[in-house]
Amino acid sequence: MTEVNEPLDVDLDRVWTGVAARVWCPAPSPAERLVGWLLRSPGLARALVVTPSLMLGWLVASCVVLIAGIAATAGTGTPYVALLAPAIAAAGIAYAYGPGIDPAWELSQSLPVSDRMVLLVRALAVFGLNAALGLIASAVSGVAVAVTFGWLVPMTAVCALALAGATLARSANVGVAAGMAGWAITVLAGRALTGTFTAAVTTSSLVLPYLAVTAGCVALVLYATRVPGGAR
Amino acid sequence: MNVELTDLRRRFGRTEAVAGVSLQAGPGVFGLLGPNGAGKTSLLRMMATVLAPSSGRMELLGRDPGDHADRREIRRRLGYLPQSLGYYPGFTVSEFVEYFALLKDMPPAKVPGAVASAVERCGLSDRARSKLRSLSGGMLRRVGIAQAIVNDPELLLLDEPTAGLDPEQRMAFRALLREIGGRATVVVSTHLVEDVGAACTEVTLMNQGKIVFHGTPAQLTARGEGSGAAGDAPLERGYSAVLSEARA
Repeated sequence: MTEVNEPLDVDLDRVWTGVAARVWCPAPSPAERLVGWLLRSPGLARALVVTPSLMLGWLVASCVVLIAGIAATAGTGTPYVALLAPAIAAAGIAYAYGPGIDPAWELSQSLPVSDRMVLLVRALAVFGLNAALGLIASAVSGVAVAVTFGWLVPMTAVCALALAGATLARSANVGVAAGMAGWAITVLAGRALTGTFTAAVTTSSLVLPYLAVTAGCVALVLYATRVPGGAR
Repeated sequence: MNVELTDLRRRFGRTEAVAGVSLQAGPGVFGLLGPNGAGKTSLLRMMATVLAPSSGRMELLGRDPGDHADRREIRRRLGYLPQSLGYYPGFTVSEFVEYFALLKDMPPAKVPGAVASAVERCGLSDRARSKLRSLSGGMLRRVGIAQAIVNDPELLLLDEPTAGLDPEQRMAFRALLREIGGRATVVVSTHLVEDVGAACTEVTLMNQGKIVFHGTPAQLTARGEGSGAAGDAPLERGYSAVLSEARA
């Protein structure tokens, strides 16, 4: 029997592309895969990974401020963590997304995964992370449970205010200024009326106004990020 | 037709950037020429569904971008390179292209192959794992083109794609445009007249928000013959002649 050695018909370009695909695009991390599964969108999961205020530098800065807050609380007895946490979270939210903050903002406007979804997912992630950091810091600083949980509602309102400011003005700095100013006015007004700095986080009658501010700001954000219908 | 525009207008305050543009385009490479401020970028941004028109009618890939579901479908089949490409400096070339492939709703299983193919077609294979912060302006432009073509778009919109490319890269890019234009609609906004002559099947010249010429590059060249218009090349003289007429 004669054996004929014919050259194999191999598409080398295709082989190379297959190899390159494996080398250049390694599988996403388990965390990214989990987020992609939860959000039902691998694109949104990747969009979370590049959130500016979820980057290591931001997290380190937030931790440093909260650690300083813990030390100040221990030294003075005033729950500075509760007063700092909403402001930190507001800055993180304002810097989560938008023109001038996200380098690829213009491109993201032309993608099927809507920028409102990206904004929402990033804002929730930043809020959740800051809330967790703030709660840990409050627990470590040993302040009363009422104070520890009391700032979560005002933090939501301040974050919503910062987000609305940033979205309407299309400027993260305006968002931060709005959030900081709103929170400073609330804290100082609380002190002027009751004589204590913690009034803004311990007065239960403020919960409804905080929720009203949150709802109003969310409505503004939804309006500002509505998809333009365009002329027909 | 992949692009059908009827009396499209876009205002920014008192300025009308696009002042009643009507245009139809099927497969091919379409050059969008014009001086600075002619309205090319605004027109391209409207076609990219980034900017809503103030008035007029627009149909892209047979769908109405004013409708939410239609717009999402258009965006899946669209490639867009903005004039100023923002990028994440810490991303590698392949990570950046992969990111946009995922955000274009491509099936995840198809993404790695599409990324590898787009990176190769843009001549970036040897820099696929380089961080974007380490790339030159011309290379970044090619990364932008790679993300625009990664989903094999049926409508490709490129704003000043050859800015920063060296002559050899520009020739390779024109060949890529001609190849894509064989099956898709490619709209290239540029003020480099030689790009239009070398790669485009049709050319549209805009001035002050209006179309002042639409035809083939040969027809534009013919407009310059014997006109005494300024220009180093026949196509440039055609461009200058049409613009002078429009301004007169």
